Amino acid sequence: MEKTNDSLMWAEKYRPQTLDEVANLKDIIDSLKAFLRNPNTMPHLLFAGMPGTGKTTVSLCIARQLLGPSWKTFTLELNASDERGIDMVRDRIKQFSRYSRGAFASIPYVIIILDECDQMTASAQTALRRIMETSSHTCRFILICNYSSKIIEPIQSRCAIFRFSVSQKEEIARYLESIAKKEHLNLLHGATEAILDYSQGDLRRAINLLQTCAVYGSKGNVDEKTVLQVIGEVSPAQVQLMLVKALNGNFIEAREMMYNLITIYGLSGSDILRQIHKELFKISHLSDADKAEIESIIGEYDFRILEGANDDIQLSAMLAQLSRFGKAKGKLNEQ
Amino acid sequence: MWTEKYRPEDVAQIVGNEEAKVSFTRWLERKQGRKAALLYGPAGVGKTALVHAMSKKFQYEVIEMNASDTRTEKTILKIAGPSTTLASLEKFSRNTKGSLLLFDEVDGIFGKEDRGGVAAITKLVEQSQVPVVLTANDPDLQKLRPLKKVVHLIRFRRVRIPLVVALLQKICKNEGIVAEHEALEIIAQNSQGDVRSAINDLQSLCKGKQVLKTEDIVQLPMRNRALDIHDTLTQIFSARTTTEALAAIKRSSFDYDTFLLTIHDNLPLRYSNPDELSVAYDILSKADVFRGRIRQENWGLLSYFFGLLAWSSTVAPETYQPFDFMYPPKRILAMFWTKNKRILMQTICAKIGKKCHVSKKSAYFEFMPFIKAIVKKEGKSRLPLWFGLDKKETDYIKALD
Repeated sequence: MEKTNDSLMWAEKYRPQTLDEVANLKDIIDSLKAFLRNPNTMPHLLFAGMPGTGKTTVSLCIARQLLGPSWKTFTLELNASDERGIDMVRDRIKQFSRYSRGAFASIPYVIIILDECDQMTASAQTALRRIMETSSHTCRFILICNYSSKIIEPIQSRCAIFRFSVSQKEEIARYLESIAKKEHLNLLHGATEAILDYSQGDLRRAINLLQTCAVYGSKGNVDEKTVLQVIGEVSPAQVQLMLVKALNGNFIEAREMMYNLITIYGLSGSDILRQIHKELFKISHLSDADKAEIESIIGEYDFRILEGANDDIQLSAMLAQLSRFGKAKGKLNEQ
Repeated sequence: MWTEKYRPEDVAQIVGNEEAKVSFTRWLERKQGRKAALLYGPAGVGKTALVHAMSKKFQYEVIEMNASDTRTEKTILKIAGPSTTLASLEKFSRNTKGSLLLFDEVDGIFGKEDRGGVAAITKLVEQSQVPVVLTANDPDLQKLRPLKKVVHLIRFRRVRIPLVVALLQKICKNEGIVAEHEALEIIAQNSQGDVRSAINDLQSLCKGKQVLKTEDIVQLPMRNRALDIHDTLTQIFSARTTTEALAAIKRSSFDYDTFLLTIHDNLPLRYSNPDELSVAYDILSKADVFRGRIRQENWGLLSYFFGLLAWSSTVAPETYQPFDFMYPPKRILAMFWTKNKRILMQTICAKIGKKCHVSKKSAYFEFMPFIKAIVKKEGKSRLPLWFGLDKKETDYIKALD
């Protein structure tokens, strides 16, 4: 059977194009629609919430609906995690915020969507604050972050803040089923549950998982087994394996894997620690008390990275702690 | 020895440190102000070479003392004293302008044995009738403070990597060796701007070869440096007390970061017991925190950094057994080997991020696993096409484990 369902990412294919298409988030959408009716009343916006709750989607909808067909020309999309220095603010943002709208009288202002802006340094945020002040008649900012507490007060006070709560299981289930229907996919018993379980309220992850399951399922059927197989396939094997190796006292190999993550994948120490933290909850052999202890170990070294000079040393120290811990608790099954 | 063969004969042959050269020339030409000059900076960047080259140019005869001599006040004055006063005699007897007194590596004179060394040098500088030149490695000038008042300070920096590469190229050409550019770059990088060690490494790598390839560098022998670091590491790890380890660390001429990374690399080889290892690593992690706090300015914190390094290497002296050291620091080479892969990964993640409105990091964590799973299962998947990934990039994703 020929498969035509993988020519683009479904997360994009089924991304709502207008605010009306956004099924949940009713309160937020209603307030935003009021701004769309009268664009000049729209302040800068700050969207806060966990991944996959629709922050980027809503931002793109606003830009599209406010700016019309040529919205892409008048929208600057930046991700602070990719270019977090103050230079980004100074050069790209400043320049774009003064972007001439020329003959496009129908364009009320340009829009700058700044994603993951809780990754910005304090000095970059301060610089941003100035630009937000001086450019308010030519430009609107939509700032997106996971935690609004990481955004400096002066910026928060210049924005209308919207908190995106994690989607309800039923909402995600409904969404997945509607996609499945359009893709002629049968979600058999237990499949949806398994996807929901894995995605933890992250709609984007749920959709990515569904798409991958569609490739792995046979004859358009996806059952629980397929989902579990795919989950095994997509789990960050590197990070998990490193964790298990360290806990089994295989320190040198664990450290070797850590080097790979840093050098080949270009990840920072904090990236890796956060990922380990996520993986930790998936290890079933450990008791909650054990997990709590490991969690405090991870947290301690994540904190030391802030002041330290070498991420790999802090990570190694953490792995050494895990080895000690693993020795005290007896061996885990290596997967 | 190529380091001897290619020792700079004149100033122009010394690579890098242009400012220092100018400053030193001015000082020697006019001998304005202070009678002595202190050349300080990392090892192998040409401090001593510059002194010799300039002395030759200006026809000074160099009288040299270095770290291998014991430097108590008595010996310094005994050996060096006469030449400062006899200078005028020499001037007539030989065809030179006179003597130039060179004290190499003066920062090595603060051990117990060299008590009074600084005072002696200060005294000597004050009495001297000929130019006195001092060299030092230690950027912590605190120790040399008494000298600062009487000497003209000239700072040397690490030689920039491209300059080292160019020099290595020249030597290769002269020796009739065909070397891959990347190979030379690794040697230069690994030397961290220490020209002398780079030349030494080049020579030991080229032994019996006409062609030097990048692969040859895998077992970077590092003869001279390795010997030196080998001794130091043995002393540090076999020390029975922390004080002993600390003394070994302070004696060594290796820079702080090399120490930190090297101890880091070797800790698991030293401690096979997870309990000992975790304690040692915890201390090393704190040393690294202090390194972070020091940055390039708070050198006053250096003693805590050294102290912690010494503690981490002497957690359990009774369990010490000789082992093969890992050197040079793994990370420096690892970063090099994986450069291309890293760039490829970044490019792929950037393309995914652009298409799906996420950062490169999210692209890696949130999308890459799924995309990988899909293209592995569906060889003809059109996803890579949609992302704008070329064949090389697609193949790379498929090959990920």
